[in-house]
Amino acid sequence: MTNQEIIERIDRSIAEEFEIDPEGMTPEKTLFQDLGLDSLDIVDLVIVLETAFRFKIREDEGIRKIRTLGDIHAFVLQKKNELESIPR
Amino acid sequence: MTHDFVVVGAGVSGLTSALLLARNGYSVALVEKAGHTAPLLRGFSRRGVHFDTGFHYAGGMGNGEPLDVFFRYLGLSDRLSSFPFDASGFDTIRTAPDGFEFRFPSGYDRLLENLVEAFPAERSAVEAYLRGVRSAFDSIPYLSLDAPLDPNGALRRVFGPTLRETLDSLTGDEILKSVLSTHCLLYGVPPEEVSFQQHACIVGSYYLSARGIAGGGRSLATAFDARLDELGVEILRGCGVASLSVAPEGLLRGVRLDDGRELRCGGAVVTVHPRTMLDMAPGGSFRPAYKKRIMGLEDTVSAFMLYSVSDLPLPILSGRNLFVLPSADSVRGIGNRPLEESPLYLTAARGQADDVPRGFIGIFPALSETTRAWEDSVTGNRPESYRRFKEGITDRMEHLVKRYCPELGRATACADSSTPLTVRDFGNAPSGGLYGVKHKVGQYNPVPLTRVKGLYLAGQSVTSPGILGAILSGFMACGNILGHDRLIKGLLACR
Repeated sequence: MTNQEIIERIDRSIAEEFEIDPEGMTPEKTLFQDLGLDSLDIVDLVIVLETAFRFKIREDEGIRKIRTLGDIHAFVLQKKNELESIPR
Repeated sequence: MTHDFVVVGAGVSGLTSALLLARNGYSVALVEKAGHTAPLLRGFSRRGVHFDTGFHYAGGMGNGEPLDVFFRYLGLSDRLSSFPFDASGFDTIRTAPDGFEFRFPSGYDRLLENLVEAFPAERSAVEAYLRGVRSAFDSIPYLSLDAPLDPNGALRRVFGPTLRETLDSLTGDEILKSVLSTHCLLYGVPPEEVSFQQHACIVGSYYLSARGIAGGGRSLATAFDARLDELGVEILRGCGVASLSVAPEGLLRGVRLDDGRELRCGGAVVTVHPRTMLDMAPGGSFRPAYKKRIMGLEDTVSAFMLYSVSDLPLPILSGRNLFVLPSADSVRGIGNRPLEESPLYLTAARGQADDVPRGFIGIFPALSETTRAWEDSVTGNRPESYRRFKEGITDRMEHLVKRYCPELGRATACADSSTPLTVRDFGNAPSGGLYGVKHKVGQYNPVPLTRVKGLYLAGQSVTSPGILGAILSGFMACGNILGHDRLIKGLLACR
């Protein structure tokens, strides 16, 4: 999957699972203020990302720093890179 | 009809929530589908023997311990009389092939002593394990009144490590690991799935002390009823809830009953199974992600149960329970084994007038899949093939009890038995799980707060299983309404 495909997948999953209009989903949008999520949604956001990309986020410190949709893109891309760089 | 709060479900978490809200000045209606409150706590009787189905014994009920303090705050203490289980060994763990026995005594110090005596080479493992349990238990808000309210605390129970991983890191002794994992039967999650934190949250109370209540679960139900009456809680018995009424702006405004009546309220504490709660909520109340999470939650194991009466008293079950493990690793994957390889939990059934054991309940964990062929049938109208299946299971259970516990077999006769379908239908458990939704590593159970303003969740699935867990869940849910500081202050005054 290319980075662009990953980003599209993230946006599509979040739009569907949180009933957000995909039109307004640009990277600088904040999750809480602009996209209307709240703290109760964070667990579901983690599960949506874990399910879409088949990795475990759980205790990942990076998740706490996420504020915007762009932060999620960067977080997932980095996570994918980390996992792919592990020799099998 | 308008109330400040409606509480849905009069099980222990609902009864607790109703009392907490009423005690703190709110007008409360408590709605229960069954014809009386706490149906599971009340059990049933056969041949003059009473079989408790919801309460057998509890940990942490000694003077000043968490459950005792909860009972005092709720105003139940004066209405209840508790008695100690055998302090030198309230739970006997017996491994069937070799006749090895270990008895769990009350109190950490004695437990350490007994474990080291039974496993002399494992002192450091036992010490580390008990230290871990104690420290985890003491970090749970409300169970420990000094523990800070950490919003991320519950996540530790989702992250792991599992109980199995923790034990593997401490010792290679498989018998010791089985002994320390046996209490998984009290919450229906195998050691390879439950987090060490969650396990500690439950067993930590039993390691303090184990006690029974005179008269069993019925006495607890009666005490709750009397206190509800005293506080003026309106109880609507025989009333199922058809739906929750939610205003377009996402605010809970009432509860619609099966008979069409609407109870208007400022908020509701819903204590039914989370999937049942989703069925009650209007379509757009929750986001798809939340609904999927709730629908995907895995339930605790179910069980086949044997209810037997005895002509002779059963001293082996007087103030004691007996757990039988057919093999050292039989707690692993509990439920997912044939009866002959399954662990067995035996507890006393008492006479109508006294607390002397006059029978026993034998509980064999099982998956609800075992009765899937008859899942469309209802109690009282099951097909012949189900009756034959149940008879076969009952014979096997009787045979196993006689084989494992010859001291019980001689003068006993089967009075009844039950299957996962029975648990489903009498316990309002959609899949027949004994303790609601599993608390296991990697599974995110719902929290008391929801997206619907004014709607709070409580129950074993939300916080923790058992009487202590259900009461704790009432405090956790109502703390969001009343203020955790206020409740903790009130509890401190009762300590």
